[in-house]
Amino acid sequence: MTNSGIDMTASLFTNFCFAIQRFPKPEFESGYIEPETLLPLPRGEMLAWLDVAVLILALSLASWLILKKRSRMGVFWLSLFSLVYFGFYRQGCVCSIGAIQNVTLGIFTGNYTVPLVALIFFLAPLIFTLLFGRTFCAAVCPFGALQDMVAVKPMRMGASLNALLGMIPYLYLGMAILFAATATDFIICRYDPFVGIFRLNSSFGMFLFAGILLVSGIFIARPYCRFLCPYGVLLNWMSRLSWKHMTITPAECIQCRLCENSCPYDAIDYPQTKKDPIGRRKQVNRMILLVVLLPLLIVGGAWMGGLLHQTFAGVNPKVKLVRMLLTTDASKDKPEPPEIAAFRSSGIPQTQLMAEVAAIERDFLIGSRIFGGFIGLAFGLTLIGLIRTPYRTDYIPNRGSCFSCGKCMDYCPVESKSCTVNTEVSQRITENL
Amino acid sequence: MKQKIILILAIAIFFALIAWMIGDLFTGNSEPQKNPFDYGMKALRDADSIPDFTEAVSLKPTLSEITSISTGTDGRIYIAGRGGVEIFNSSGHILNRFTIPGNATCLSYMPDGNLAIGIEDHVELWSPSGVLIAAWPAADTASVITGVAATPALIYVADAGKKIVYQYNRDGKLLAKIGEKDPVRKIPGFIIPSPYFDVAISPAGDLWVANTGRHKLEKYGSDGSLLISWGETSMAVEGFTGCCNPSHFTFLRNGSFVTSEKGIERVKVYSPEGVFQFLVAGSESFDEGTRGLDLAAGLNGGILVLDPSRNLIRIFLPNKKN
Repeated sequence: MTNSGIDMTASLFTNFCFAIQRFPKPEFESGYIEPETLLPLPRGEMLAWLDVAVLILALSLASWLILKKRSRMGVFWLSLFSLVYFGFYRQGCVCSIGAIQNVTLGIFTGNYTVPLVALIFFLAPLIFTLLFGRTFCAAVCPFGALQDMVAVKPMRMGASLNALLGMIPYLYLGMAILFAATATDFIICRYDPFVGIFRLNSSFGMFLFAGILLVSGIFIARPYCRFLCPYGVLLNWMSRLSWKHMTITPAECIQCRLCENSCPYDAIDYPQTKKDPIGRRKQVNRMILLVVLLPLLIVGGAWMGGLLHQTFAGVNPKVKLVRMLLTTDASKDKPEPPEIAAFRSSGIPQTQLMAEVAAIERDFLIGSRIFGGFIGLAFGLTLIGLIRTPYRTDYIPNRGSCFSCGKCMDYCPVESKSCTVNTEVSQRITENL
Repeated sequence: MKQKIILILAIAIFFALIAWMIGDLFTGNSEPQKNPFDYGMKALRDADSIPDFTEAVSLKPTLSEITSISTGTDGRIYIAGRGGVEIFNSSGHILNRFTIPGNATCLSYMPDGNLAIGIEDHVELWSPSGVLIAAWPAADTASVITGVAATPALIYVADAGKKIVYQYNRDGKLLAKIGEKDPVRKIPGFIIPSPYFDVAISPAGDLWVANTGRHKLEKYGSDGSLLISWGETSMAVEGFTGCCNPSHFTFLRNGSFVTSEKGIERVKVYSPEGVFQFLVAGSESFDEGTRGLDLAAGLNGGILVLDPSRNLIRIFLPNKKN
């Protein structure tokens, strides 16, 4: 050891020995409640890359189990692992669903760089879905896994109701992007129902939210995934274009109808062998009407969005602060809200704040119009989807809404190698008929 | 049919959740939020025990912005403030007033009957009749003189800016620095986060200094050695709390300490050994945010509290049981 090394060691030791408390320790035994700290704690870089590796491996394994192995049991165990790892161990963060906001913020604001890990968590499930369908939803997403556990008495819902509720994720996605693009709020994280369960730490309101959602999930399978998840919208689009997708039968469908009621998510398209069931002329007229209506829906949506831009802007903290400044009673009876006190102590002139807020409201006007147009488009396309009756002879999973969970595969009696009927399942067919 | 009802209920619940989300997002935070990091001083202010003293009378000086008070052996009351000094007899009648060149920050009655006054960046000695006897500048341009005390031969000046106590003779000659951090002599140094740094001479003639950042009162020898200290950090009435307290202190004739605090405004009496004895006045007696409660001891056991917020000298007398 060099002299300087010895000196340094001695110095450290001496400092340690004679270190004295500079200030008295604060005393918090008089009813002061320490505010809750944020969870989860920052993750080390290596561990963050471990999460990425686990995500890629899980996606690969899920795709293999569904497309190649056709193992529902394998999917179940993998989803259980994902629930434990990404849910309870990683406490729901990083989350592909919430990463939408990071990516949006990164695109629209110059002063935010999307963390690479968050970007991978956003893109990897989309890429895998583009290749193999929604295998992420099947076995990797902890939200889906948790809801799958409670879906013990799922009930079928009609196509119209499914379509109506299916509009909510579009609204949620649009608003999440609008608020993230304007650096207003990360509403997906704010209203994440299950993260409180994973962290065992949330407000009573959010626990109640999660509890009610899970209770309704007993009867409406995966309600968050189907009727709320904004990431599901993107996965839906990717899955429609997917290179490969899970099939109910490994070979030719024998029309046994065993799978007909097997999907708790109403994601099986039934055979449609009758061409033009409502009549060709009627069908064409409806389609023409909707195609004509589509631009009107987009324009109308954009107009409506523009009307609502002040309401949307009201969520922005700066806009809220200005409105608070303009409406707060300056009387001494009421304590000044902390937001106003913080603003006053910042020394920023009110005119500067007003200018910033005017710019934010302009952004909201543009964003709200785009949001409204997007919702109009989604609504129009949903209507078109409802009246379309494509010809098909087999029971097939709906590429957009199917979670590739493989539950229906177990109902199919066809075996892939020989293309023969499984005798045990054949017995069930007989009983069924 | 039963299934249909269950499904309708489940969907209704789902819609209720969506409605709650929308309501919370657009209206939930319209009310001012409670600051989660708020220290909640109000609850602590209300938690004081019942005072053992009662406010008997108050004195209204004509000076504005009064800052410091001292009492003489004859019971006279000396008050300094913006640009002047006022002298009252023990009955509260004004005896004299004179102007000083600046704003007094501290004042001490000297054993020879004169007054030592800290005035922003210098020290002045005045006779009670208003004759300037001596004056000398502060030791440093960064000095903030906040306390002064005198023995027959020496004058001690507490400098919150330099976090040190200077020892002068009566001609203003700097003799020593007291309280400098010195690990060898086991002197921890003064921690003075705010311009409240008091110094006083006990009836036994000992120098005591308020090390406010450590919540302690420390006794020093004339050679600058740290002899003893007491005081504990606590929000309870027995201790001192906040960043820096006690802000002021003085002595009763029996050697007991009288201390005042800011933050949670209160005035207390401790025995000469530093054991809490009485609460003179709790925070309910003062305007919230009052700082600079300078103290002086009266002849009849009363405690004089200079209240800068109300610009009053408030005299507290012990309850009969005490």
